Amino acid sequence: MTGDLQSEVIRAFHRKDFTTPVVGITGGKGGVGKTTVAVNIACALADRGVRTALVDADVDGPNGAILLSVELANPAAVDITVPQIDAERCNGCGDCVRACRLHALFQPRGKYPQLIGECNGCEACIQVCEAHAISRGRKQVGMTYLSRIDGLSLYTGALIPGFEESSVVVQAVRERAFADAEQFDLILVDTSPGAHCNVINALRGADSVLAVTEPTPFGLHDLELILNLLELLELGGSVVLNRADLPGDRKKIKTVARQHSREMIWEIGMDDLLARSYAAGVPVVREYPQAPSSKVFQQLAENIAATYGI
Amino acid sequence: MKLCISSSGKDIGARVDTAFGRAPYFLIIDTETMEAEVVENAAAASGHGAGIGAAQIVSDKGAEAVLSGFVGPNAFSALKASDIRIFEGISANDTVQEAVTGFKKGDYREVTAPSTGPGRGGGRGRGGGRGRRGF
Repeated sequence: MTGDLQSEVIRAFHRKDFTTPVVGITGGKGGVGKTTVAVNIACALADRGVRTALVDADVDGPNGAILLSVELANPAAVDITVPQIDAERCNGCGDCVRACRLHALFQPRGKYPQLIGECNGCEACIQVCEAHAISRGRKQVGMTYLSRIDGLSLYTGALIPGFEESSVVVQAVRERAFADAEQFDLILVDTSPGAHCNVINALRGADSVLAVTEPTPFGLHDLELILNLLELLELGGSVVLNRADLPGDRKKIKTVARQHSREMIWEIGMDDLLARSYAAGVPVVREYPQAPSSKVFQQLAENIAATYGI
Repeated sequence: MKLCISSSGKDIGARVDTAFGRAPYFLIIDTETMEAEVVENAAAASGHGAGIGAAQIVSDKGAEAVLSGFVGPNAFSALKASDIRIFEGISANDTVQEAVTGFKKGDYREVTAPSTGPGRGGGRGRGGGRGRRGF
């Protein structure tokens, strides 16, 4: 793909019909503190009077609500389509069976097709059926929730364990928040670890991204992966170096961040008060606003607010 | 009877393949005349649903029975929906020819419910199923 065309595709991918800024929080490696950073920035913004939505898009293990000690509320089911085949209308042509990339449909000799395998709801069978014999049945694959706490709206996506359609749930929770965008001054999206389609789907529509990492070989390795992805998605932003005073290699992190033209590096040191509040499920910016880590989160929140003129 | 055997090669001298869904070929053999037709298993490399795709190929060819090492649960459901009888237990060391001979002698058991894993009866089986296989 040529550069121009790629840019056009990426712009179309990120296009949204509201003006509320969206900031992604990601990082590649698991356990680096993405959700801790997301929750604390969200609270710091909310405490400044910024109407903030936090989207927990780590649908395989959402725990933003735990860090905020808030109950999941306002549930909504996330469904996908499964084909329902009308035997009366079916002409037995077998086009749907051939269209199914997952081989979920099977047509016994002389009979009409039936769903045997796992369907991911792509609807290709419905598209190709000239007899209009396939209608949309529904299969639930997850839930979204909306909880409100102290000026903050938390949107949570949760996949039903064992289902494969996690990116459908990521999209559903992001779209639920986006549908309410006019109510907010800022939307924060906390992604799952990794650099795969669930992360890409969560970052769709973001204006900038914070990449959270730690100064370990693992943090460094996965930071490079995620920064490569962010470049592909044409998303700028900064790096947050959590546990910055671990005996690792901060220099290498900084070099990589610079190579990927990240604007700046925010360092959060090992902070006993942060660890304590984390264990208690209370954001450190609220429990210990004077803690060194709280100062960084407040500064980050201020910086985000200034960037978007909120 | 039109018998389908999962095979590693294209003729009856080839070794059988004990995994139904992921076998590269099927030999459809008329057990009376020993006339054999080879069909490539286009579903073998599928990321998903190889067993159902393979069952579709076998069903479309008009097979009345399948003989393999292990038939996964989805392929089992599909073959049953086509009223195709299922026999398991071929050994990876057998040629297709030997498997047919054994079949005629009644060496293989007919399965009426999906097996829990490959390998009973000596087949190695790669298992196209969904993680029901032990280590």
